[in-house]
Amino acid sequence: MFSSKRSAFWIAILVLIGFACLVPGVAAAQKLVLTGSSTIAPLVGEFARRFESLNQGVRVDVQTGGSSRGMNDTRNKIANIGMVSRAMKANESDLHAFTIALDGVGIILHINNPVTSLSKQQVIDIYSGKITNWQAVGGKNARITVVNKAEGRSTLELFLAYFGMKNSAIKPHIIIGDNQQGIKTIAGNVNAIGYVSIGAAEHAAGYRVPIKLIALDGHEASVANVRNGSFPLSRPLNLITASIPQGLTKDFITFSRSQQVHDLIEAQYFVPVSDD
Amino acid sequence: MLETVNRIWRSGYRDLFAQTIIYIAVAFVCVVFIWILSDLIRGGIAHISWDFLIESPRDAGRAGGIGSILVSTLLLLLVALVVALPLAWTTAILLAEYVPVTSKFGITVRYSLQVLAGVPSIVFGLFGNAFFSIYLGLGFSILSGGLTLACMLLPILVSTAEAGLRALPDSYRLSAAALGLSRSATLFQLLLPAAAPTLAAGLLLGIGRALAETAALLFTSGYVERMPGSLLDSGRALALHIFDLSMNVPGGDAPANASALVLVALLLGINIFAMKLAYGLQRKRII
Repeated sequence: MFSSKRSAFWIAILVLIGFACLVPGVAAAQKLVLTGSSTIAPLVGEFARRFESLNQGVRVDVQTGGSSRGMNDTRNKIANIGMVSRAMKANESDLHAFTIALDGVGIILHINNPVTSLSKQQVIDIYSGKITNWQAVGGKNARITVVNKAEGRSTLELFLAYFGMKNSAIKPHIIIGDNQQGIKTIAGNVNAIGYVSIGAAEHAAGYRVPIKLIALDGHEASVANVRNGSFPLSRPLNLITASIPQGLTKDFITFSRSQQVHDLIEAQYFVPVSDD
Repeated sequence: MLETVNRIWRSGYRDLFAQTIIYIAVAFVCVVFIWILSDLIRGGIAHISWDFLIESPRDAGRAGGIGSILVSTLLLLLVALVVALPLAWTTAILLAEYVPVTSKFGITVRYSLQVLAGVPSIVFGLFGNAFFSIYLGLGFSILSGGLTLACMLLPILVSTAEAGLRALPDSYRLSAAALGLSRSATLFQLLLPAAAPTLAAGLLLGIGRALAETAALLFTSGYVERMPGSLLDSGRALALHIFDLSMNVPGGDAPANASALVLVALLLGINIFAMKLAYGLQRKRII
């Protein structure tokens, strides 16, 4: 009886080792590595799968970790292509950027909050702590919970740039990382205000998550308005390279900007760049 | 007379009070576990099927399954344990059996392990990224992820194994010496089997920590959800997949719950298997 137990143990070990060795070390002919924005990574992961199925022997590895990391890794040549979810700055002209899609950033509230629209100045006053009660902007008598994004997030940079604020001027009660976290935070707090990707918010609202997008300065926050350019708070999703793309890198970027991936972009709730 | 009765009654009352508090605490712990589990089951059980376990994820994880991710996770765990276990257990044997408690060397090793145990996992991730991925050129791969995990597991494995060996009564060692057993025979025939349950408990803690790891693996084993072709391929760990689905992918909650349920089931399975194995070993060698 003991020996059967013992042999079972050894068989288990052998199976595990064999498993590790059997997985053959087939080196792919060509390999691309992408790193960067966690917003873009799931989208480009889908591109990569389709690109691999169209090009035999090509492997595209998509890593994540944030836009800043994408830029660093691209500059240091650890990655062939970086993913950056905002427009490039003036001091980043050493990198070549290619926009693959657009994403709008919308202000979201809990669905039971009666406020339906905020002006630019009202948002600034709420985030800088001048307005602390919903009554001041036409809501119920309740304290406002300000939800801000963490440092280094592209959504934060876009938000600050549009409203002309500094992050140190914001008085947040809650600091969040990703879009889904923002949506979950607002859904759980009737008096909270936050900002997330419009595509993600529209999708969540469609699945009966109790949140709503509100109009900003009279512009309705919707994917349609991001597409026609009338919604002011939007950002490009970029692929970046350290030098002029060639070979496989060029093929992948061309593929990412072609009609072939528009269905994938829409499936991830972003807006395809229309003129391509 | 009345006073004595009064005192007995009062002390009984106090006992009852303490007992109630203890039961409440235990009930609270159980409720937390059951709450988490029922939440996961409610959110994920409808999503689980055989196909979910063997298919690769599609549509950023909303569709498809977690087959390739399970394989990556198990490979990561395998690499980590193959590297960490021999190192950790030999260190523990050295510390417990060959070095006096008060020796400078032993204290230094123990102290550095304690410091290592308190280091947050993201620091291990950055170290693994800088050392294994970039300096050693392993890139984003299961190998560099597994080696990073191995570094994280060392302190847990060493300290539990050392405590287990130290807890054995010295009479074991003395009797073995009196019988003329060599030191290595004592170690392999008597001490290690006797300490097997503690070794297994430490191993389980380590496996738990490795399976739950997210931050360190994001920077080392990476985010690629394809079926790994070799240990040098990037592969996404299950915990990282759950994190990505719930934080990054709109509409990823159901597969996230289902994946978490699989993770919990996996841990339970490994737990039961390892405990059975350890008690079997102890009974066979000692009793």
